[in-house]
Amino acid sequence: MTKYILKRIMYMIFVFAAMSIILFFLYNLIPGDPARAEVEHLKETLNPEQYEKAYQDARERMGLNDKTIVRYKRWAVGVLNRDLGRSQVHKKDVTELVKTPLKNTIKINLISVFLGLAITIPLGIYCAVRRNSNFDKVVQVLTIVGYSIPAFIFGLLFIYVFAVKLKWFPVSGMGTPNLKGSSWVLFKDQLWHLGLPLMVMTLASLGGLTRYVRAAMSDALSMDYIKTARAKGLKEKTVIMSHAWRNALLPIVTLLVGWFASIFYGSLVIERMFNLNGLGKLLIDSLNSRDYNVVMAIQLLYIMVALFSNLITDISYGIVDPRVRVDR
Amino acid sequence: MSDNKVIDKKADEKKKKSFFRLMISNLFGRKEELSIFEEEEVQSPFRTVINTFKENKFAMGGLIVFLLIFATVLIGPLIKPIDLSFHETSQQNVEPGFDMMKIPDALNGKIQDIAIGPTFSIGASTDGNLYTWGKTKISPTIDIKNTPEDMGNIVKLAAGFDHIIALNDEGKVFGWGSNRQKQSKVPAEISQVRNIKEIYAGYQCSLILTEDGHTHFFGNSMNNDFNIFHPYQGQLDKVAFTSDAVIGLTFDGEVVYLGTLKNSYSKFPEGMGKVKDIASTASTVAALGEDGKVYVWGNISQKSKENKIPEFSGKVVSINGGRYHYTALTEDGKVIAWGGNTYKQSEVPKGLKDIEKVYTGYYQNYAIGKDGKATTWGLKGYLLGTDELGRDIFTRLLNGGRMSMTIGAVAVIISTIIGVVVGSVSGYFGGRIDNILQRLSEIVASLPFLPFAMILSALIGNSMTSRQKTILIMVILGFLSWTSLQRLVRAQVLSVREQEYVIAAKSLGIKKSHIVFKHILPNVISVIIVSATLSFATSMLTEASLSYLGFGVQAPQPTWGNMLYGANNSVVIQNYWWRWVFASALLGTCVICINLIGDGLRDAIDPKSQER
Repeated sequence: MTKYILKRIMYMIFVFAAMSIILFFLYNLIPGDPARAEVEHLKETLNPEQYEKAYQDARERMGLNDKTIVRYKRWAVGVLNRDLGRSQVHKKDVTELVKTPLKNTIKINLISVFLGLAITIPLGIYCAVRRNSNFDKVVQVLTIVGYSIPAFIFGLLFIYVFAVKLKWFPVSGMGTPNLKGSSWVLFKDQLWHLGLPLMVMTLASLGGLTRYVRAAMSDALSMDYIKTARAKGLKEKTVIMSHAWRNALLPIVTLLVGWFASIFYGSLVIERMFNLNGLGKLLIDSLNSRDYNVVMAIQLLYIMVALFSNLITDISYGIVDPRVRVDR
Repeated sequence: MSDNKVIDKKADEKKKKSFFRLMISNLFGRKEELSIFEEEEVQSPFRTVINTFKENKFAMGGLIVFLLIFATVLIGPLIKPIDLSFHETSQQNVEPGFDMMKIPDALNGKIQDIAIGPTFSIGASTDGNLYTWGKTKISPTIDIKNTPEDMGNIVKLAAGFDHIIALNDEGKVFGWGSNRQKQSKVPAEISQVRNIKEIYAGYQCSLILTEDGHTHFFGNSMNNDFNIFHPYQGQLDKVAFTSDAVIGLTFDGEVVYLGTLKNSYSKFPEGMGKVKDIASTASTVAALGEDGKVYVWGNISQKSKENKIPEFSGKVVSINGGRYHYTALTEDGKVIAWGGNTYKQSEVPKGLKDIEKVYTGYYQNYAIGKDGKATTWGLKGYLLGTDELGRDIFTRLLNGGRMSMTIGAVAVIISTIIGVVVGSVSGYFGGRIDNILQRLSEIVASLPFLPFAMILSALIGNSMTSRQKTILIMVILGFLSWTSLQRLVRAQVLSVREQEYVIAAKSLGIKKSHIVFKHILPNVISVIIVSATLSFATSMLTEASLSYLGFGVQAPQPTWGNMLYGANNSVVIQNYWWRWVFASALLGTCVICINLIGDGLRDAIDPKSQER
């Protein structure tokens, strides 16, 4: 097992390096000259020769005259030393800049994941137990509707109903500006602001997950050991909760790992829609303002999270189901 | 002997009959001769799939609705082609509905005056009542319908871009509507003026003309080239507004320019003689000469061709101008129209005669006959409203739907081809090739889809045209979404690989590639079809999300996703619901239908999945 994990980690490092090279070269294809931007304001005050010299100095200082591969090496060394460069727009170190949005994104997504689980697991189990009942059929259709409609359409609808018409929630934002008070007041205010985005996010994730839980549970319920358990005269509750559910958990757990990974990049549309200061919104804003150091950092974070979650998924397969041998 | 013959004949007939029967049954199938068991036996798996699918009500419903939508977006753009460069400021954010020319019954027959705005009209009846119709709500707070009270008997009306000026029988002037440029606030000096002859309302400005030829201007004088100290005070008989200039007609029949600039409006055509009437569109001016001939000048647009006056018989007695078209009334009561025809505003209804007066404004025309009844033609309204640039949402939905579906389809074709090739090669050959391809697939699958598509679109599409970017989106979607199909195909191929017919093919010495694509693939086609259907829905959704975020297909090319791009603020969500409701409803319905079809297909092809 340890050998397998080590092998996987080596492979992850390789993939990460390859992706970072591809991204770095991609970003360098983009027209734009940071040195020119830096000396632009001097154009008025200096004569052309001095300006040209200042520009060339800036290029030299930023290392723009080097070959791309040399620059990549320098950048990669920086990344390894936890220096992700500076944001051109915010005039801040990227590591500094990313902190708050990352925290917000994780917070929002964690809540929505738990809300989603709290709804989908009981619902999925119930549907599987009452398979082909009318309730199940209705839920089946609703889940198709649920995963067919993109989050932003839910968002538009919810804003219209709950923020514009009923005025229960604010339209956007993370908190009332300049609000002062005890931490309880602040917390309540934030909860009030996050109510709508959380509802939309949870709702958008219900469809797919309910179907998945139902399918896993149905599979488990059709097994022979369930018949045995029933034949033994066990209570139906025991059959479902301890015999079927614990076996259905296997595929669900592996799915959950992937889902927790999406905590980092799942709320892109929602953050943009409700103007929440999260990682996704930072990514969109930075892309729009061509602040590529930030984009690069977020992208690398995404890839890292994705690779790790893949690894954990594979390992968890082995842990939750001893029949699966990952390290063969 | 003879008996024998008869019997022979009978036997012959019987033989013949059975032969015919055989022939018929051979030609048209022998369904009736089969017992139920036999029929069950000969039903091909394909038939079973179709029958199972047909029995699935949801899937069939989805299929029918999807086919309807598909046919509509396929045929619709041919009937309603889109003009990508089109935009019309006067038709922004118009509500759905066809009531723009619905003249109230109470007014019809006793029309005193009608004034026509971009989306609304207002009329005064001979018994002194005011009526408004059309889309009178020009902003969330301003509604033309809210007329001031106690105005007395209104005799004359004028409608500007977003305001109304009215004159009552005591010579008092009123104004309401938008007042941003003070265009509807009647200055105090005018309340002293008693001999008002005519009132005019232009783009954010108003003008009062007195009996003795004096003008009083109020409203936006920056956008309209009007010289308050023009030298023709006391000489003016008529005035006409373009969207940025003011033209006058003196008592002597001379056309004069009332602004300070020298431009195409002030370059009058020669040989007009004594001019009887003037009219204007947004960018041109027309004059009616003494001989009944019409002259047009100004900034004539290539699209509208305002100067292309049709052949007609008889003398013109009066001319009127809309936004981009003109109408003229001849002495024998006929109406001719020419110029821009985007909303069929210059197509006079056939058989129109005995007309006494024509009201023309923006895209509407009201021709009043001898009996006082109005005949209308032009822009009735919009089925689904218009967007922030005045473009018809219905047309954009049709064309956008075609684009959305094309993108989804091309992306699916790309991803299916890659997925099938990679999956089957990987599954059949195994070993090192399999290992490399699987690692590659893992990398692609592990990329966070939406952010990555966004970044690629932003980086590569940095300096692309709208069209190139559309293709780029298809390619990105295709290249990022092949991995799940690849895995499915590989698993199927792995399970099929060791079956007898493949071994038989191998032992016959058939080429490997031939075995993979000719012998194995047809057996896994069902998996591919289901996967392609479901990923068609996903591709459409991803495209919509990308476009909604502004990283997908760029305007003016519409897709269902990017039509929602501008809808992301509470003002639009609240006040202009038609700008997001229809596009989201259509996108949602379409994706739901495709998913229902995909689910139904999967259940039909793989009956085991139904058990779940």
